[in-house]
Amino acid sequence: MSSESSKKRKPKVIRSDGAPAEGKRNRSDTEQEGKYYSEEAEVDLRDPGRDYELYKYTCQELQRLMAEIQDLKSRGGKDVAVEIEDRRIQSCVHFMTLKKLNRLAHIRLKKGRDQTHEAKQKVDAYHLQLQNLLYEVMHLQKEITKCLEFNDSGVSFPNRLAEKYRECLSNKEKILKEIEVKKEYLSSLQPRLNSIMQASLPVQEYLFMPFDQAHKQYETARHLPPPLYVLFVQATAYGQACDKTLSVAIEGSVDEAKALFKPPEDSQDDESDSDAEEEQTTKRRRPTLGVQLDDKRKEMLKRHPLSVMLDLKCKDKVYYVERLNDSVLHLTFYYLMNLNIMTVKAKVTTATELITPISAGDLLSPDSVLSCLYPGDHGKKTPNPANQYQFDKVGILTLRDYVLDLGHPYLWVQKLGGLHFPKEQPQHTVIADHSLSASHMETTMKLLKTRVQSRLALHKQFASLEHGIVPVTSDCQYLFPAKVVSRLVKWVTIAHEDYLELHFTKDIVEAGLAEDTNLYYMALVERGTAKLQAAVVLNPGYSSIPPIFQLCLNWKGEKTNSNDDNIRAMESEVNVCYKELCGPRPSHQLLTNQLQRLCVLLDVYLETDSHDDSVEGPKEFPQEKMCLRLFRGPSRMKPFKYNHPQGFFSHR
Amino acid sequence: MERAVPHAVPLGQMEVFQALQRLHMTIFSQSVSPCGKFLAAGNNYGQIAIFSLSAALSSEAKEESKNPVVTFQAHDGPVYSMVSTDRHLLSAGDGEVKAWLWAEILKKGCKELWRRQPPYRTSLEVPEINALLLVPKENSLILAGGDCQLHTMDLETGAFTRALRGHTDYIHCLALRERSPEVLSGGEDGAVRLWDLRTAKEVQTIEVYKHEECSRPHNGRWIGCLATDSDWMVCGGGPALTLWHLRSSTPTTIFPMRAPQKHVTFYQDLILSAGQGRCVNQWQLSGELKAQVPGSSPGLLSLSLNQQPAAPECKVLTAAGNSCRVDVFTNLGYRAFSLSF
Repeated sequence: MSSESSKKRKPKVIRSDGAPAEGKRNRSDTEQEGKYYSEEAEVDLRDPGRDYELYKYTCQELQRLMAEIQDLKSRGGKDVAVEIEDRRIQSCVHFMTLKKLNRLAHIRLKKGRDQTHEAKQKVDAYHLQLQNLLYEVMHLQKEITKCLEFNDSGVSFPNRLAEKYRECLSNKEKILKEIEVKKEYLSSLQPRLNSIMQASLPVQEYLFMPFDQAHKQYETARHLPPPLYVLFVQATAYGQACDKTLSVAIEGSVDEAKALFKPPEDSQDDESDSDAEEEQTTKRRRPTLGVQLDDKRKEMLKRHPLSVMLDLKCKDKVYYVERLNDSVLHLTFYYLMNLNIMTVKAKVTTATELITPISAGDLLSPDSVLSCLYPGDHGKKTPNPANQYQFDKVGILTLRDYVLDLGHPYLWVQKLGGLHFPKEQPQHTVIADHSLSASHMETTMKLLKTRVQSRLALHKQFASLEHGIVPVTSDCQYLFPAKVVSRLVKWVTIAHEDYLELHFTKDIVEAGLAEDTNLYYMALVERGTAKLQAAVVLNPGYSSIPPIFQLCLNWKGEKTNSNDDNIRAMESEVNVCYKELCGPRPSHQLLTNQLQRLCVLLDVYLETDSHDDSVEGPKEFPQEKMCLRLFRGPSRMKPFKYNHPQGFFSHR
Repeated sequence: MERAVPHAVPLGQMEVFQALQRLHMTIFSQSVSPCGKFLAAGNNYGQIAIFSLSAALSSEAKEESKNPVVTFQAHDGPVYSMVSTDRHLLSAGDGEVKAWLWAEILKKGCKELWRRQPPYRTSLEVPEINALLLVPKENSLILAGGDCQLHTMDLETGAFTRALRGHTDYIHCLALRERSPEVLSGGEDGAVRLWDLRTAKEVQTIEVYKHEECSRPHNGRWIGCLATDSDWMVCGGGPALTLWHLRSSTPTTIFPMRAPQKHVTFYQDLILSAGQGRCVNQWQLSGELKAQVPGSSPGLLSLSLNQQPAAPECKVLTAAGNSCRVDVFTNLGYRAFSLSF
């Protein structure tokens, strides 16, 4: 069969479109002359069943040949090549057969499809005819019945209409009566509902579902200015959906809020009256320019009478006592009507009275606890650029002078109220946008909680540091050797200006890492006659932003990072390698671990001091730390890296 | 390494961390490309930065020209030493020496051509390699560092041919005496040792700290830097910077510098040295201080003179040390500008 096909194959194959007559003619030609060849014709002649058998046979043959070739190849040998070649040729021939069969199959499929299509078209045509005829029949029948009816009821036609009219009227009256009945029923319900609501109040309270209270709140909320309203709605929604520790309330006088919308004529009358009064009193006492300006300022900075209060509970684990204490962050949001900005006042209250260590004064103070919640957001300037022009008119230099009274206008506060002040294109009127508030709510609430918790942790740690104890938790003990001899003897807060004056902090200042929004401290670590000063920069974003240490050692002279490579290495161990010292999340142990590491580093530094041959007497600090080598590298670094659990020191 | 943001932008966690990394960076080694147009610098984080000297020195140079063309992580530990052959950059630090093709190095994702580790005796800690020295006549490389030995490696085959033992503490620096050929090594044990490469033996030892004129016990006895010029050798470190006559092993000139020096080199009729302190010091052979030119780093660890004949316009002295900056001196009198990681 396959050899037949290969004989019949000619270079030119004409594909005619399924015309059997032509095909038959071609076939006879092919057998004799072999000029034209049509596969379509051949398809009609061949039996699909037999083709299928041929296909299976060919596949089997191929498999057999492949297996034989495989065997021959694995056997190897010289004569094998000829045999393999032979089989290869046979396989090629089989492939040809398969290809032909494939083509035939495609042609058969195409034929079948064409036939089906033709038949379908015919059926569609008949169907259409049928529809047309049926429609005509129906139409004619209608006409007939109409005529018949008309013939029947030609005389009484107007009566029918009258009947219909009477029917409609009676329907209408029925419906009206039904409405009346229902109205009465509803109005009878109202007092019953009220009594049920009253009765359910104690149940609501018991089940913590204060619907009544919420209802009242929503009543009050209607009088909020738009940014506070946006904040109220978004915060309430967030609290209900994601965070049960958040509670939202509205404070202030609703009447005053309502009074803001007095009709203009009244106020004009008032003005003219007051003008008249003023004229009379000018002779007696003219208000000074200063007082006038003061009043104008007060007017400009006036707050809306209503404010929104958010209370955030921050779970705070006291690490040396196994109890959970809840501290609360109270946030009061105000809206400054003439400036179109929002401000916030913050207060942190704790379950038990906190005794504030001296150095911890600024940690939780209302003025600074929320400073730089987002980097750079110091809340000392108005975020609305249009306010500057208003300020110029009344002689206000900056909002900074008033923040203690008015609250801080942080950028995140504006966002929570849906207010956005784009710098590039200052808007004429900025309106409160719910989606802006919603997109910032979750992140901001989480940042607020983290902030309060880290500040509370620091608060406790400072109390311990002031007593010369570096509080290292048990899960961080592995970072340090068992014996640490250097001790923290002093922990105090220092002013920003004092930090700038220190001679060993110039690098940090030049790198722009010592802004006035940071908190600054000085620690003193001592051992024997050696005194190590550490100036600490605490970024408000602690603990995600690490504290930065700069060192000055007084022992056999003064050593800082500019004249001693090992002091520089010690700074690097706490500043750059801080991630090792973070401890378990949320990294509240970072600062204390850094201080403890500083004590360990001082121990290593002092004990590995190379003994000066010219000086008499023993070393002040005998080496107790286990080190593989004392110095390494061109800078002759000391082994500052502690290896746990083996307990020896090595180089990074 | 990313550029630091200017001060006006609020600093988030990433910016603060990068600023701290830059503040605590130390550049240990430098090497000029064979064409003379590029400078490689290696730092304590294991990174190598390639600077385009020709771009930074050209008249159209902008601020960006002072940044590296490419920076990549070369080693796990600090890159203490680098040298260049006529096609390769060789870098070493954390116990391994790696080779990079200068022709490929500017492309992103450049991989090392090969890496080799000398046969070390200790197994607890991998010793560092502090110094690399090319011996052109033998086509070999000498490595020395934490395991107190000098290893010679054939650059053709990569095989380690000799291990010269003698130092009792780790080795800081190497210098080559072309004529002989002999190698000088200076170490933490305070000795400068001469080795004959053909016999692989130590032929001379100078224990600098034992000479009263130059010893300074309060600094220690370590020899941090070495340079040699035919019969003369200059070395420094804990002891004072001293010029020695090699054949007679006598110190002929003591340079009055209190701060320990970490790098020294002969240049024309001068000796240049740098170490603790900001300045590059220029000395007359008589011992007089000709000039002291301050750089931008509080301490310097490496000096590099670009004397490649192919790029005379890039003939500069570059100095680097305890900062992320490489100072460029176009003439020895003043610092022209600084390149920065």
